[in-house]
Amino acid sequence: MLSNIDDATLLRVAGALGEEEAVKLIEILKNSEEITDDEIANKTGIRLNSVRKILYKLYDHSLVGLRRTRDPKTGWFIFHWRLQPDQLEGFILSQKRRVLEKLNIRLGYEKNHDFYYCYTPGCKRVPFEEAVELVFRCPTCGKPLMHYDNDKILGALSKRVDVLRKELGE
Amino acid sequence: MPKRNDLEQKALQFVMNTGFEGVLQSELWRNLGASSREGSRISIKLENKGLIRRAKELCDGRWTYRLYPKRLPASIESISDCPCLMCQDNPRCDPSSTISPKNCERLTDWVLLIAKGESGTVGDS
Repeated sequence: MLSNIDDATLLRVAGALGEEEAVKLIEILKNSEEITDDEIANKTGIRLNSVRKILYKLYDHSLVGLRRTRDPKTGWFIFHWRLQPDQLEGFILSQKRRVLEKLNIRLGYEKNHDFYYCYTPGCKRVPFEEAVELVFRCPTCGKPLMHYDNDKILGALSKRVDVLRKELGE
Repeated sequence: MPKRNDLEQKALQFVMNTGFEGVLQSELWRNLGASSREGSRISIKLENKGLIRRAKELCDGRWTYRLYPKRLPASIESISDCPCLMCQDNPRCDPSSTISPKNCERLTDWVLLIAKGESGTVGDS
């Protein structure tokens, strides 16, 4: 099948999901057909509980699959993990759609509100309606609130929304 | 001689990497080290598979095709720095609840950061 995902993207996704340890884990999974969590822990030096935590996270997004067998001696389950790179594109697309939805909500909110700000680092911007109730005093530091021009925020948000829309073919 | 499928995969990757600009068919086969006949056959095949779009274009007095990818390579670049990507509050994040993208501080910080990156400084923290 013609694929349009490369290894670098796979590793970037792993990085986003679980940082350095997930990248190491994906590298191991990539080079083996099926592998148990114990073997991964031995090969990478990552603690077994961390390995399992990352694997379950990847499993939640269907990026890895598993097969379960029973140990004949102990009767415990052994989990055999495998990478499912064909699910990666779907995962990326669904995440993009989700992020786009959030950014759209934020963009709408920024467009429809006037903001007031005391210009003190660490304090929050307040929408006009709330600023009126607060008699234009910052609820955190008590300084007077002044109009805040959110044009740059709007510009940056619109740009990112456009990029995502284009990427999703909307 | 490379296998047809290898060439197809390489051609698809090449076209996809050109993004929205597209690439001239002649550039494609030159880059792949293939003949013009192979180049044209591969691009027709990719078009039939629905992976690329061909648009007629006049270049140096000759009609050729510009090839555009129908899907760009799936990349996480555009959202990898966004806090929403792996936000732990995601299941509870909704415009009608307390945790909302409207007033999320992590999202505000990120938007301010990208706004700052695009054009100097922004007045917020």
